[in-house]
Amino acid sequence: AAAPGAGWAAVCEKFRTARTLSAVESRKDPETEPYRSKYSARALLQEVKQLLSGGEEGGEARLLAVRRAVLEYELGVNHTDTEELSAGEEHLQRCTQLLQPHRLSPDCVSLYIQAQNNLGILWSERDEIKTAQTYLESAEALYNQYMKEDGNPPLDPSEHFMAEEEKLTDQERSKRFEKAYTHTLYYLAQVYQHLEMIEKAAQYCHTTLKRQLEYCGYYPVEWALNAATLSQYYLSKQCFMESRHCLAAASVIFSQAGQVPSAEDNETEQDQQDLRQRKAEIARCWIKYCLNLLQSARKLLEDNIGELDPDRQLELKAQRKKEEDEKEKGRKKAVLFGTSDIYDSVLAMEEKVSSVYPLDFQEAREIFLVGQNYVQEAKEFFQVDGYVTDHIEIVQDHSALFKVLAFFEEDYERRCKMHKRRIDMLEPVYADLNPQYYLLISRQLQFELADTYYEMMDLKVAIGNRLEELDSHTIKKINSLAQLAIKYYELFLDSLRNPDKVFPEELEEDVLRPAMVAKFHIARLYGKLITSDSKKQLENMQTSLEYYTFLVEYCEKYPNAVRAIETELELSKEMVGLLPTRMERLRAKLCPFI
Amino acid sequence: SVEGDAIKVFVRVRPPSEGAALTDGDHGLCLSVLSANTIRLHSKPEPKIFTFDYVANMETTQESVFSSVAKNIVESCMNGYNGTIFAYGQTGSGKTFTMMGPSDSDNFTHSLRGVIPRSFEYLFFLIEREKEKAGSGKSFLCKCSFIEIYNEQIFDLLDSASAGLFLREHIKKGVFVDGAVEQVLSSAAEAYQVLTMGWRNRRVASTSMNRESSRSHAVFTITVESMEKNNEIVNIRSSLLNLVDLAGSERQKDTHTEGLRLKEAGNINRSLSCLGQVITALVDVGNGKQRHICYRDSKLTFLLRDSLGGNAKTCIIANVHPGSRCFGETLSTLNFAQRAKLIKNKAVINEDTQGNVN
Repeated sequence: AAAPGAGWAAVCEKFRTARTLSAVESRKDPETEPYRSKYSARALLQEVKQLLSGGEEGGEARLLAVRRAVLEYELGVNHTDTEELSAGEEHLQRCTQLLQPHRLSPDCVSLYIQAQNNLGILWSERDEIKTAQTYLESAEALYNQYMKEDGNPPLDPSEHFMAEEEKLTDQERSKRFEKAYTHTLYYLAQVYQHLEMIEKAAQYCHTTLKRQLEYCGYYPVEWALNAATLSQYYLSKQCFMESRHCLAAASVIFSQAGQVPSAEDNETEQDQQDLRQRKAEIARCWIKYCLNLLQSARKLLEDNIGELDPDRQLELKAQRKKEEDEKEKGRKKAVLFGTSDIYDSVLAMEEKVSSVYPLDFQEAREIFLVGQNYVQEAKEFFQVDGYVTDHIEIVQDHSALFKVLAFFEEDYERRCKMHKRRIDMLEPVYADLNPQYYLLISRQLQFELADTYYEMMDLKVAIGNRLEELDSHTIKKINSLAQLAIKYYELFLDSLRNPDKVFPEELEEDVLRPAMVAKFHIARLYGKLITSDSKKQLENMQTSLEYYTFLVEYCEKYPNAVRAIETELELSKEMVGLLPTRMERLRAKLCPFI
Repeated sequence: SVEGDAIKVFVRVRPPSEGAALTDGDHGLCLSVLSANTIRLHSKPEPKIFTFDYVANMETTQESVFSSVAKNIVESCMNGYNGTIFAYGQTGSGKTFTMMGPSDSDNFTHSLRGVIPRSFEYLFFLIEREKEKAGSGKSFLCKCSFIEIYNEQIFDLLDSASAGLFLREHIKKGVFVDGAVEQVLSSAAEAYQVLTMGWRNRRVASTSMNRESSRSHAVFTITVESMEKNNEIVNIRSSLLNLVDLAGSERQKDTHTEGLRLKEAGNINRSLSCLGQVITALVDVGNGKQRHICYRDSKLTFLLRDSLGGNAKTCIIANVHPGSRCFGETLSTLNFAQRAKLIKNKAVINEDTQGNVN
């Protein structure tokens, strides 16, 4: 080797010190001088570089080039770490230039990949994502090519400055190499996300997580949260099997975190609190899973008026039976997490909740109950005192679970009771909430309460229609539900008024549809109010007409709004045409002699 | 509405530090200000044009920055709106100069004093004027707090002995820092005194790039409460004015959460990186799918939740350094500012009526 003997040993020693300074000592640097050790490391690396250039010898050009590349790499990383990007880039570029001819050989491939990784990071910090992408993708390609053509555990870059007897084992080499490649994939996931190649980004995230498990390079809590978050991506794609798999793995890995005591075993109250919060976060992901599965099933099963369609139900049940036979095959296609022992726990976790669409009340109820359990778990941490927003969001989810379960319930009385449960959970939080700080949530609650009362009223009407004659109790109930629905719709509409209490001339896009629906429902509600007093009835019809007219006139003035409320507008136009005639008839009845 | 509720974005270009233009590469400058709201970045191959609500060039005075950026927000604050002013940009891009003024001992009377002292003056000027107009019927109470977010932990700059504080939410009072000291203010000078005292407690660090680089986000909050008696009805209005100095944006990137080491280094600026994420998320909202995202608890964005897409008036001052060596950072600051413009804010008056029971 070049520069044998004492001189070389000193060089190696310097290099090693620089690495320790950079990786270990720098963590203890004072806040006022965060880069002290990095700067010392840099100085040492420069010295090593000087020493190397002195010892140039003819036949050892390649060896020397590789060693220089190692130094350029270390200097490049050092400069980027200390916020000197341009200098860092120059060093990294020099590193890759030196390695270019040898990049596929076992002593260079790992260093080359890591240099490309760092160039990727560097360019992404400059928001030049496309440039970052080219570096990272070429690192990925190099890994694949190397594994195909050679595949032996390659040298770790640090070994170029090690004495023969210190060199790493093959196992350790392989571990480090795979880790560098995992980072490539991880950075690529981020690059794809920035480039809005969402599906590809998700796939790379998934693979990164899988590799972290395989090579034991993960923190359980962080890993679990990542997997739980990824499950939410699959939810939005309606991939329930993948979503459940991520969540089950998240729960299993998270449970490891609780068991392993931290290194110094001085867990503070704060750490405990964090852990509890993370657990609750994962529970919230499960809630969304149950909710989405139920809601998607509802979409499949409902007829054109939003009721359960029994023909569709039979059809889907038959179809499922056929699919069940092929189930095992489909399963193998998904990317699965874990080595055998973890995998068994994940499977056991998965079995607790279905990943296929529920098709009847019984199946829906099972998923609902799982969701409801997670609601309780999440609420234990996210209590209203201190976590207002989170707490209310969980309550809203709970309400949504009841709402979709009610869809599967055939008995109207029982269905009504489910909606009453929603009211009972939503009304108290709404009453306490200050809209000054929670305007959006406050509006959501107003609207949801209104809708729930509206739905209950409809159910009571349907129940009443089955009777021979409406009894006074039912009439009273219908009217009071309708009045409450009106009250909350009006509260919602009032929240849109400006400081001078004026309703906006033109509605903002995000509230256009809800505002119009509120107006439309109020119109309908006035039409539903039951009274024996004809004068009162005439008044109600008048109010109803005013609200219908609002919709029609608004859409004439702002034709863009039509898109958002086509059905409602059509019905409103019809009512605006019909109501005056009806009112005329009623008036004639009231004063038959005029 | 006429003014629009979107976040207002202002860009300010600082002059290169003395001698820097000479030593700095071949062209020296990487951008030019085209008009009062457009800026051209000399990127290759094509130059890029950015449009903002207002672009201040190197000659723009502190007074005119204040009038175009902060005046309106302070006025809204008097009318019961919450308001927030952010300074964003790379370390060394002039954030502190814009917000505080030159680093002399007495910034409060200095002719180059920044947005913050001027906001204090203006706020108390408006309060005095209101009081004179309304007579004894109206009274004001101003309080302030000053906190620092460092490494995702919250510290009270007005009480250097305090340990990490927690953010909590109250169903009536919104987000608050549990246990933060609140100091009553009676004049602009007093506000400035409190501010400078707290400022000295901030965590700064020297790097070879910058003499002083702030590693933390600092949030100075003034609560203005007014009480007006009108025929047995007591009208109470309260609003918040947040003045935020963000840590240097060059350290915001979340890309390098590499292994343990970089993860720790990266954590220093997680707040800022999450801010970017939140902004992206806010812009993309709309598919209406039910989902829960685990990572949204950056302390900074949580504290300022009302200011980002909530019901407040917000403006961002993006500071940039024109030197060509800063090209990358300047580009990313301008891109950030561009994205921020897409956030919409709903301003809703904060008013509740009390005492009208009898």
